[in-house]
Amino acid sequence: MKKVDSFKILTAPAVIFVFVLFAYMLFVYIYMSIPIFQWEGCGIYLTNIWHASEIPAEEYYGIAAAIWGSVYTSIIAVVIALPLALSYSIFVNDFAPPRIKNAVIVTSDVMAGLPTIIYGIWGAYVLVPFLRQWVMMPLYSTLSFIPLFSYPPVSGYSYLSAGVLLGIMVTPFASAIIREAYASIPHTYREAAYSLGLSRYEVTRIVAGMIRPAMVSGLLLAFGRAIGETVAVSLVIGNTFNMSISLFSPGYTISSLIANQFGNAFIYEHMTSALFAGGLALFVIGTAINMAGLLYLRRWKQNVKF
Amino acid sequence: MSNYAIETRNLKIAYGKKEVIKGVNFKIPEKIVFALMGPSGCGKSTLLRSFNRLLDLNKDARVSGEALLFGQNIYGENVDVMSVRREIGMVFQYPNPFPHLTIYENIAIGLRLNKIVQGREELDSRIKWALEKASLLDEVEDRLDDYPSALSGGQKQRLVIARVLAMKPKVLLLDEPTANVDPVGTKNIENLLMELKKEYTIVLVTHEPAQASRISDYVGFLYLGELVESGPTARIFENPKHELTDRYVRGILA
Repeated sequence: MKKVDSFKILTAPAVIFVFVLFAYMLFVYIYMSIPIFQWEGCGIYLTNIWHASEIPAEEYYGIAAAIWGSVYTSIIAVVIALPLALSYSIFVNDFAPPRIKNAVIVTSDVMAGLPTIIYGIWGAYVLVPFLRQWVMMPLYSTLSFIPLFSYPPVSGYSYLSAGVLLGIMVTPFASAIIREAYASIPHTYREAAYSLGLSRYEVTRIVAGMIRPAMVSGLLLAFGRAIGETVAVSLVIGNTFNMSISLFSPGYTISSLIANQFGNAFIYEHMTSALFAGGLALFVIGTAINMAGLLYLRRWKQNVKF
Repeated sequence: MSNYAIETRNLKIAYGKKEVIKGVNFKIPEKIVFALMGPSGCGKSTLLRSFNRLLDLNKDARVSGEALLFGQNIYGENVDVMSVRREIGMVFQYPNPFPHLTIYENIAIGLRLNKIVQGREELDSRIKWALEKASLLDEVEDRLDDYPSALSGGQKQRLVIARVLAMKPKVLLLDEPTANVDPVGTKNIENLLMELKKEYTIVLVTHEPAQASRISDYVGFLYLGELVESGPTARIFENPKHELTDRYVRGILA
């Protein structure tokens, strides 16, 4: 008689449940988005119009600005977070005395777990005025001919504020991954590099090159967190249907749009569906980024073995 | 000018308060294989790492006495540690080619960063030369852009030797280079060392007396941080003066 593996019976449903849940969520997002596609086709993603009306025939929703804002602020966040996380990892592992090292690690891990609204309020009261005064104003007054700095920083609520705040929020996540990977590189590779007569900087660069997969994972995690972050961003981005490359311009993100509009969306015929379409866009962007990362990691693992 | 490649004078090494090398004196002539043998934990790896100042990486390690490289004390004042390391190549117990660099890049990186060669052509020819010297060229010539993961343990170790030889060092330090290599790979590496000693001074750390007797010309026996005996290999193995050495080479020293 074949023996029944009780472990399998216990764990299989949990695994199946996760997959079913994923498929079901995807299904719901597609199903709920269908009405808006029937109503306006790809206009929902390609135009920047937000026209809510109690007369359904006049409704029109285009969330291009929010998609742009989500991607743009997340890129700013990652561009800020990666170098910070890498320097942090090198500092913690190579330079910090043990007590400082522990304090820094604990602080960083606590920061990763803080409720995001805490960042949001701090961002709105401290970060936004600070950036406006010390970064945006000087750059605008001297370099406004560059498109990136061309928007007058009237309120300070902007892509830049959101991106910087997100960068601060996601750095602890990227840091944790990169820090562990950096610490796990066997000492013998450092010895090898030093014995070739290389400087400390050159050795560090070689070792950092060995943790590229961790940097990619850290980047993915950071981007995923950043693009999904809602509350903190909606407090500092200005919530305006604006679509601009200028860092100082206010904008919108998909998550903050959904958070702001979902409560009263049921009043309108098409708005709920439009917001679901926004969620679907987030779903697709998130999945695509992760797939790209996984493909990269797979290729790396084929070639590089410690 | 001394005609010894390496000479130590009352060299002592301590980790914190624990002295692991207790004042050793020996002279290693040029272009020979000098084997440093002894049981695990006797301080051989530590001693070896003091010859290229790799010990500096360990913040607790303290060195006193002198270690002369071709007559010059590498622990003297105004010594450029990085240039000392460039003159002395080191091969490790665990074959450690950089896993994220191709075979070609593994050898190129030391040359590039130290600005030893100029231009692509010179780099190419130096890399081919080093691989040839390390008896690896035939095996990897058509796959220089592969990663080291495609190589066997013995081949990886010879890649490390090529990486070191490319720098044209004067002395090679090897820390149990065959400990993680299979018997065939071990034989290849031992043959290679016999070949290389014509041009380089080789200091080999081993915990196998048999390996020391196979390939070394001179041997030093290190026990609990002290150099018990050193001299020509044949003499040490056939006619040891010290009882500890006798027991060690006969394999009955616990």
